[in-house]
Amino acid sequence: MKSLFLLNGRVPRTTFALMAAAQGAGLLLLWLFYPLRLFPSLSDVLRALADLVSTQGLVQELWASMTTALQALGTATVLALLISYLTALPFFRPLAYAASKMRYLTLTGLTFFMALMVSSGHEVKLSVLIFATTVYLVTGMTSVILTTTQQEMDHARTLGLGEWRSFWEVVVLGKLDDMLEVVRQNFAIIWTMITLVETLYQSEGGIGLLLYKQNRYLHLDGVVAIQLVILAAGAAQDYLFGLLRRVFFPYSGLASAQ
Amino acid sequence: MTPYFYKAPVLTLDNVSMQFAGETILRDISAQVLDVCRPGMSQGQVVGFYGRSGMGKSVLCRIMAGLMAPSSGTVLVGQEQHEVAPGAVGFVQQQYPLFNHRTLHDNLLVAAARNYPDVAEARRQAAFYLERFQLTAHRQKYPAHLSGGQRQRAAIAQQLLCSDHLILLDEPFSGLDVAMIDEVKQIILEVTTMDELNTVVIVSHDIQTTTALADRLWLLGHERDASGQLLPGATISPQHQYNLAEMGLAWHENVEAEPEFNRFVEHLKDEIRQSA
Repeated sequence: MKSLFLLNGRVPRTTFALMAAAQGAGLLLLWLFYPLRLFPSLSDVLRALADLVSTQGLVQELWASMTTALQALGTATVLALLISYLTALPFFRPLAYAASKMRYLTLTGLTFFMALMVSSGHEVKLSVLIFATTVYLVTGMTSVILTTTQQEMDHARTLGLGEWRSFWEVVVLGKLDDMLEVVRQNFAIIWTMITLVETLYQSEGGIGLLLYKQNRYLHLDGVVAIQLVILAAGAAQDYLFGLLRRVFFPYSGLASAQ
Repeated sequence: MTPYFYKAPVLTLDNVSMQFAGETILRDISAQVLDVCRPGMSQGQVVGFYGRSGMGKSVLCRIMAGLMAPSSGTVLVGQEQHEVAPGAVGFVQQQYPLFNHRTLHDNLLVAAARNYPDVAEARRQAAFYLERFQLTAHRQKYPAHLSGGQRQRAAIAQQLLCSDHLILLDEPFSGLDVAMIDEVKQIILEVTTMDELNTVVIVSHDIQTTTALADRLWLLGHERDASGQLLPGATISPQHQYNLAEMGLAWHENVEAEPEFNRFVEHLKDEIRQSA
């Protein structure tokens, strides 16, 4: 128990699991018995969740948002990788720099420009998500590339690999696991954006629109239920990305501090 | 004294100087490593460059490895004495870098592909070095799972697989315990007896171990002008070039126990103190 409060303390796995379970249970008890009714009760939330699933198609809406998010993430990842890797060529560095700075653009203004450029609502939604995700991913990915050390590149060069092959070995293959981590971290941003974009383009529905409606009619229990569903989906995504990392990059994290 | 003679040069540093932002780091460094021959045996070369910390040893390493062009002067390598280029000299850096995303076996295969385009031959060569350096049991491990000594052996094997006889070790004894130093010494001796042309260049601040292994030694230091002022940039003075074979101190199995060796090391230490 004492080790739980020691700086950089090492805790056995079972103790840590028990501690996490106790913290979760504590939070649940607080929710159940807290006298001030700031939050809807657990039973209200569960009832709202059942209602959302049975009458308002929560699962279908979640699926619609999820597929849009994955589509945007896939395209944005390819674009961001391309832009980031191109920073190896000085000519393209301003492009990556500009792309990174564009994350300060507001989503509403962006939607307006995208609406002028593409025809359907779906395309606007998708292009906004792709654009916004790409600029965040470029920021993370270029910072991963910048962690490449002189020693790493020198090592590849001394093996006679040539500049492109050295870049491929050290930066592309060598940092692919870190790139996946950047994608995992930024996937959460898509969920923040998708709920906003879906309220701006309501024709295709989505969990964001459902959330917006619950908010609008002050169904606080429904809002909490949807937020919990999004939280669970995000946690599942994180787990999936972690699994992918362990399967495809088993060396990843071997050297990190425990 | 062991009979020996010299053949063609395998490494030449000709008036190498290096400046960064107007500051001279290295000045007019000249040294030549010759292919030494001992009748009846396969004897490669072990040469040492000694320099105190902050003297520009790592810069000199990068120049000799062809990773950095000197501000002036040239580095020539091989029997043809062509100008050095990246990959021409095997270079084991201080931290023994390997590709962390590849297993030890794959690390060696990447290196072997350069000299052995035939995949089966590359695999055979990689297996040979794994066996030779007692790494076969660890072939499927990632570098993060290897000990410091295993990493160092793997890094040396990797460079041997792809270099053309010349291998440069930057501070190979730094931070190692006595047993590990003995292990590295054994590896260096193995490397130099594998092929007549194999040449190990040790760049180190460990004067005792470097001297014990080397047959030629150069001391990097600062010179003073007539008024006693330190001249900028480390260099190798004519009096700081030692032919240990000529002095009868090379290729002895337990040279560190010999009084003459210890006297010579003491002399070197005095020289180093005076040039500080």
